[in-house]
Amino acid sequence: MVRGMTTNGGFQPVFCTIVPPHILDRLSQHEDPTLHEPARRTLEHDGALRTQRRVTAARTAAAPAGTPSDQPDRTIFDAGHQETLPGRKVHTEKDKPGKDATVNRAHAGLGATFELYLKAYGRHSIDGAGLPLNATVHYGENYDNAFWNGEQMVFGDGDGTTFLDFTIPVDVIGHELTHGVTQYTANLDYQGQSGALNESVSDVFGSLIKQYALGQSADQADWLIGAGLLGPHIHGEALRSMKAPGTAYDDPNLGKDPQPATMDGYVRTSQDNGGVHLNSGIPNHAFYLVATAIGGQAWEKAGQIWYDVLTGGELASDADFADFARLTAAAAKSRYGDGEEAKAVLGAWSQVKVPTS
Amino acid sequence: MRIQVRRTGGFAGIERRAEVDTSGRPDAAAWEGLAGRVLAAGPDTAPAGVPDGFRYEITVDGRTVHAADPRLTEDQRELVSRLLEEGA
Repeated sequence: MVRGMTTNGGFQPVFCTIVPPHILDRLSQHEDPTLHEPARRTLEHDGALRTQRRVTAARTAAAPAGTPSDQPDRTIFDAGHQETLPGRKVHTEKDKPGKDATVNRAHAGLGATFELYLKAYGRHSIDGAGLPLNATVHYGENYDNAFWNGEQMVFGDGDGTTFLDFTIPVDVIGHELTHGVTQYTANLDYQGQSGALNESVSDVFGSLIKQYALGQSADQADWLIGAGLLGPHIHGEALRSMKAPGTAYDDPNLGKDPQPATMDGYVRTSQDNGGVHLNSGIPNHAFYLVATAIGGQAWEKAGQIWYDVLTGGELASDADFADFARLTAAAAKSRYGDGEEAKAVLGAWSQVKVPTS
Repeated sequence: MRIQVRRTGGFAGIERRAEVDTSGRPDAAAWEGLAGRVLAAGPDTAPAGVPDGFRYEITVDGRTVHAADPRLTEDQRELVSRLLEEGA
């Protein structure tokens, strides 16, 4: 059980609360609002998520009635620099581009993501059943982040110095939406190695969305995550490099990109849910190696193999790197036979020192 | 009073820390009131987060409480943003 290698800092899988429900129940009855308010919020939130999960499971189990639309259904909200979701509705599917470049970029990025999943893999939106795509922009003040909250994407404007607007790189938009795809499919636990796989899958498809939009082949792509996001005076080209993990930035303020490319550099930490944004460098690099060994357009074969594993039903939510590697080898063989694709997959995992047998 | 924050996670996965020592500060009472409310609200263990969401550890004179985006209380949000802006 590789997840045991990390102490994981007391973090529980996403959407599970670590405070036992009976304690939350007791706190929620407390007369002090500083105690009962967070407890009530947690209970309400968890209840809503449990309902949502049941709905998701039901939706996945039943064949969708009719064919979902081949067109996305996008809505952009503006948080007005507050941290309340979703914010004010400012753009819908039928609106033309407006004056706010951030809104326009979010709309376009959601479209590019919808497009790759549909055209390359025949998937209708993140749930495979035409789920509307919602995003909130201008979240918080000088907010240096973007995240997926279980229902929608959220983008900060950045502080303008270290980080610019998080809607700038289309791969960041694709990354966040892919957290949604993962949630509706393998639902990888967001901690330890399964968490790093969750992160890596978001980077892989985030990068493929950019490559597809630009019509790039594997050897033309930059394989960077977050290119254009760092401020002009930051020493770095992006936040992560799938081609060369650990080389994306080296800056007096940010420090040096800490991602490992192989298991030799695997980071054991209690922070960041067990280093999910660090160790994702290992499967990220494996994907890059597969894609460049096969050649051509990375979303076609390498992307298909990864997509088959993510959606095939055999990837456990607590899968480790070796589980994932074995499934990619099997997927390559079952889709393309015992040829160069399977050889590329085995070679890549061997290079990053993850066993496939 | 020594107030520290450690922010981890986030899309970038870059950790940030900041701290303020309130002793001798003219605004010590405001800091201490805010930190006291955040400590009282807890929790001692990390709440569920969301993919790419920031996680916060807030430590006041050696006692640590946790928080995670996007569900910070107003007090947590104010303390964290003031620490990251004004802290060393």
